[in-house]
Amino acid sequence: MDTQSVQTENPLVEGLELRRRPEPCVLTIFGASGDLTRRKIFPALYALAVRELLPEHFAVLGVARTEQSSEEFVAQMEAGVREFARDEFNADTWAELARRTRYISTEFADEEGEDRVAKTLTELDEELGTRGNRVYYFAVPPDAMPKLAEELGERRTTTGWTRLIVEKPFGQDLESARELNDLLSRDFTEDEVFRIDHYLGKDTVQNLLALRFANGIFEPIWSRQFIDHVQITVAESLGIERRAAFYEQAGAIRDVFQNHLLQLVALTAMEPPIDFTAEAVRNEKLKVLKAMPTPSPRAVVRGQYGPGFIEGEPVPGYREEDGVARDSGTDTFVAARLQVDNWRWADTPFFVRVGKRLPRRETTLAIQFKRVPHTLFEDTTELRPNLLIVHIQPNEGVSLAIGAKVPGEGMKVRTVHMDFLYGGAFRSGLPEAYERLILDAMLGDATLFTRADEIEEQWALVDAIVAAWRRDKPAFPNYAAGTWGPQAAQELVQWHR
Amino acid sequence: MASIAHVDEWADECASVSEVEQALINLRLQRGFVGKRNLRTTVLTHIAWVPREWQQAATETLARLAERHPSRTILLFPEPDADDGIAARALLECYEAPFTDRHLCSEIAELRLRGSRAQAPASIVLPLLLPDLPVFLRWRGRPEFASPVFEQLVEVVDRLVVDSSEWEDVPGAYRELTEVFDRVAVSDIAWRRTLPWRRALARAWPDLPDRLTGPPAETALLAGWLRARAGAEVEIERADQLPVGDDREPSDLLSEELDVFARDAVYEEAVRSAGPL
Repeated sequence: MDTQSVQTENPLVEGLELRRRPEPCVLTIFGASGDLTRRKIFPALYALAVRELLPEHFAVLGVARTEQSSEEFVAQMEAGVREFARDEFNADTWAELARRTRYISTEFADEEGEDRVAKTLTELDEELGTRGNRVYYFAVPPDAMPKLAEELGERRTTTGWTRLIVEKPFGQDLESARELNDLLSRDFTEDEVFRIDHYLGKDTVQNLLALRFANGIFEPIWSRQFIDHVQITVAESLGIERRAAFYEQAGAIRDVFQNHLLQLVALTAMEPPIDFTAEAVRNEKLKVLKAMPTPSPRAVVRGQYGPGFIEGEPVPGYREEDGVARDSGTDTFVAARLQVDNWRWADTPFFVRVGKRLPRRETTLAIQFKRVPHTLFEDTTELRPNLLIVHIQPNEGVSLAIGAKVPGEGMKVRTVHMDFLYGGAFRSGLPEAYERLILDAMLGDATLFTRADEIEEQWALVDAIVAAWRRDKPAFPNYAAGTWGPQAAQELVQWHR
Repeated sequence: MASIAHVDEWADECASVSEVEQALINLRLQRGFVGKRNLRTTVLTHIAWVPREWQQAATETLARLAERHPSRTILLFPEPDADDGIAARALLECYEAPFTDRHLCSEIAELRLRGSRAQAPASIVLPLLLPDLPVFLRWRGRPEFASPVFEQLVEVVDRLVVDSSEWEDVPGAYRELTEVFDRVAVSDIAWRRTLPWRRALARAWPDLPDRLTGPPAETALLAGWLRARAGAEVEIERADQLPVGDDREPSDLLSEELDVFARDAVYEEAVRSAGPL
């Protein structure tokens, strides 16, 4: 009997807030020895365990090339949980999760490796009652994904259900993304594939939907009639850390622009979905992505940071980072003027920028409204247009800039801010995105995951931009670390004004 | 939990309500120009009616609550035997907001309602309510349900929060409680305390016990719940502790009640079935 039917028949459950727990399953993490597992996945699993949201019958199987025993893997994960989990460490909760965790060091692509994984999964089913249900987490580099998907498809059994969580980047361009989608669709249906964009798991990104669709006052003015333009910023003050090999291939445009940024544009610009189900939400996002024409080369600015200062500390330029070519042409900054060509947004620019080594870490969405059509007051020099700012991170919240009269004689008007600070009104602590996403995948809810056609539209736009870039060699570096990117990016917005 | 950053205070042994309101504004404005940027973050107005015997317990609970549940809190201490007047204290409590450069500030007004002022509390709190935010009334101890004071306050609030484990005459008192259900939404901290026990019973369903062992209010409510929801009759045995307990602080339990806005039909049904048949 499934959970839902038990709940409808049981007269005692009403009002008990019994949260739906996923069905029994094994979560198999490929690439388990990587940082992601220690910093994000296990702390998220621990947070779910603390809240009793993991399946009653549950196991974790880590798979990676690194030679180590299950005990060593568990000890590493414990250290990760102690360092990165948002809850206090509880030995009993951890012991229960650790008891259910195994590790296999293998090259999954070889026959013997596949056999060992399959054998261990069967043993876990027998030992822990996980009933053949599988969640496979692809925390592996993009080039390892096709082979992994192929092998899993070939070995798929008819017992239980199977779901795949696929980490970004999903492909390196449209062609590779299509190939991977085609490969996945051979053995798995679309509702079995969960492409992660962890931004969608953030409460504050979901709050954007609440702001738009749970408030009557914003949606009527959420259009070209009242909005002058939209600015979206995804800024990091960090450099590339130890990701030079990946970043040299990807650059800012594939690392952040192709996924997080375009998803934020889609959520901001989409029409109200008919309900909050995966298909309805993703259908509306897709329409926005399809309505975005390739920006002209003049509407895109790329940059690469040179040496500079972050919070007073000197930092090296991109080309001086370990593992980066001294003449690298990789972009660490992208700004663009995007358009959404539909009735709601025609001629309303979406100014977007992503970058590394910018002055501060900040993800914001700023909606700038049109000025009043006629000024009544004598002194409005300090009055700026109304601005609605959604702070996605940090200082999660919403600010609205409005004009107010300066006390005293006359009618001098200036801009003041009304602030809503997320953590001020809701003191329970924001969950990590991975908690929500892993739980949703186990429950089979794909609302906060990216569909194949969305990914392909995103890549089509990025491929077109990159194709234009190939025509000339950029004069990099063109911005100093600790600044807001190249001057040309500022000018994109200024031209509009 | 974030630590308290500063508390600013104003007091007057003989104050008017408008002076209290002005004092709260002044505290906020003064603090607004000093040090870190302060935010008044308010999600509700929280009134507490606190007879003398409950003052210490109420103060301890509220001290923990303010940081967790940003609100304007109005503490009403009735002192009907004193000379007429209102002795007031206004406080602005500010806390470090984690990961930001701001302080979050909550307002507290402590009002000692002396003499005849204790007979007209609604007229005192009405000017202090924040517009358009829900108003919760925490009534410490057993309410005198038909009294003018209770009637007045129930009329101006959206939700009444009681803890029926503070009452000595349960389940008999539940009959009076049912009479306010159609006028104001009611929360009972005793009911909240039984949540883990109810979850355990729901998971065990249809295998229900014949006997419930625990404190009077909680067991009476659970017996009423089982009678109403599952048609099950159980015996009750007195004990000091709940078998499946919720060992959180009273402020945590109250904090959860302050997140509930709608009427709780399941609770009302349990109360109606908890009284003597």
